[in-house]
Amino acid sequence: MNKTAEVVVIGGGVIGSSVAYYLAKKGLKVIVIEKNQGLCFGASGANLAGLVIQNFESPLLEFVRESIKMYGNLSEEIGYNIEYERLGCLLVIDDEDQYPNAVKHVESMRIKGINVQLLEGNEIRKLEPVLGEDLIAGMEDWEGGMVNPFKVTYGFARAAAKLGTSFLLSTEVRKIETNKKEKIISVDTDRGKIETDFVVNAAGAWASEIGEMLGISIPIRPLRGQAIVTEPVPLNERWRCIGDPPSHWAKPSSPKTAEKTKDSVVRLGGRTVIRQESTGNWLIGTSQELAYNNRVTMETIRRHAKGAMRFIPKLKDVNCIRAYAGLRSHCYVDDLPILGKVDSPSGFVLATGHSGEGLMLAPLTGKLISELITENRTSMPINAFSFSRFKKLNQ
Amino acid sequence: MEREKETNNIICRCEEVTEQELRDAIRELDLRTADDVKRLTRAGMGLCQGRTCTPLVSRILAQETNKKTGQIFPPNKRPPLRPVKIGLLATEEEKEFE
Repeated sequence: MNKTAEVVVIGGGVIGSSVAYYLAKKGLKVIVIEKNQGLCFGASGANLAGLVIQNFESPLLEFVRESIKMYGNLSEEIGYNIEYERLGCLLVIDDEDQYPNAVKHVESMRIKGINVQLLEGNEIRKLEPVLGEDLIAGMEDWEGGMVNPFKVTYGFARAAAKLGTSFLLSTEVRKIETNKKEKIISVDTDRGKIETDFVVNAAGAWASEIGEMLGISIPIRPLRGQAIVTEPVPLNERWRCIGDPPSHWAKPSSPKTAEKTKDSVVRLGGRTVIRQESTGNWLIGTSQELAYNNRVTMETIRRHAKGAMRFIPKLKDVNCIRAYAGLRSHCYVDDLPILGKVDSPSGFVLATGHSGEGLMLAPLTGKLISELITENRTSMPINAFSFSRFKKLNQ
Repeated sequence: MEREKETNNIICRCEEVTEQELRDAIRELDLRTADDVKRLTRAGMGLCQGRTCTPLVSRILAQETNKKTGQIFPPNKRPPLRPVKIGLLATEEEKEFE
C-alpha cells in the first residue's frame, strides 16, 4: 500500500531525527527512512559526544555557537533528558613554536566574543594536577560541554513520533521519482512507495549515493574516525575535555608528503582529543581516515593511546575496555556542511556533510531545514553551506 | 510488591543497570535491537563488556518485543577482547616481541 507524507527524511541519525522533530513541530507529516534496524547507527553513534567551540573559524563558528546554545535547553524542549553538561574545555600545546599561535588564537576567539583564557603550564597543572609535565600552555573556555548522542537522537525521534512522525526502520531507498526531473513526486523503498513533495537527504556518509539516484553529484565521501574508551576513573577536577589545537593551525601537508611519511598524524590526519564522561570513562579520539568500513586499526589505537598519555601520563595504567569507529560524511571540497535546496528537482533538500560535527550542529540544522521547507527562508543565513557552491561539479 | 522486587534485579553488574530500567527504556523508546538497548541503558558497556549480561538482556528484549531469544541478534563485539592498559597499547610494534 502506498503511503503519503509531506516530507520524507532519508537517514535516522542525529541530523535526520532533528530535522524530523522540527518539521513535525511545525505540523508537517514526516516519514523517516532508516536502513538499519535502529537509529543512530552511523557517525551519530560513534563520536566523542562533545560540544567544543574553540575548534572553529567563521562561518562555522557562529553556527556551532548557536547550536550549542540550543543544547542548553533541549532536554526541556523535547521532554527527554539528553544528559547535557556544560564543561570546561582545555586545548593544550607542548611545543614552544606553537606559543605565538596560541596567543593569536586566544585573541581571535575574543574578537568573536568567546572568552578563552591562556594559562601557562604550571598554572594548568596547579588546577589539574594529573596533567603532563610536557604541556607548556593551555587555552580554556567554558562554552562547550557534552551530551549523550544516543539520547539526543532517540530523544528527537521520540518527540517527533509523539507529533505524528513515522520511522520506517530496516528500510532502504531504491529510487526517487520526479516529474520530468523538475519536481519530487515519490520515494520508492524496498517496502513500498511513499508519495511526497519533499525529500531531505540526511544520509550522512551515504548522502552521495542518494544524490546519484537523481543524477546529482554531492561531493561527500566517508571519513572514518576511531576512538577508544577506558574503564572509569575519578573525575578530573576542572577539565574533562582536553585536546590538541585545531588542525587549521598546522599547515596542510601535500598528498605526496602524506603518502611518504611514516607519521600517522600527517598521513591519516586528526589530532588527539580526550573527554571524560560523567561515569568516569575517558573517550579518546579522534582520527580522520579515508575508509569505507568501520573497523578499528591497531595503528590508530596506538596513536590515541600515546596522545592520551601526553595529556595525562597516569592514563598509562588505566585499562582500555572498548574501541569503535564510525563513518562521517565529509565534504571533500571544503570540509563544510551542505545545507539547503538544489536548483532542480525542486523539493530535494540536503542536510549532510557535517564532517564530524553532526552531533554539535544537529539542533540548529533541524531548525533551519524546517524553516527552509515551510517558509522558504532561514533565520540564519546558510549561503556559505549552499549546494550552489559546487556548480562546476554538476555542469 | 513481589513483582517490584523482581524487576529491581541488577542485570548488568558493571554498570548497575536494573531489569526495570531495561524494560522502561525498551518500552519508552520502542527499541528493537540489542545494540540499541546497550547504547541507551549502558548495560554491557562496563569492564566485562557484556560477558555476563548479554544473554539476560537478549531475553528481556525478546520478551518485550514478542520474539524468541534466538531471534535477537547479539550486540556488536568491540575490540579489545579483554581490557588492555593504555600504556601497553601505546607500545611501539618492535618492542612488543622483546
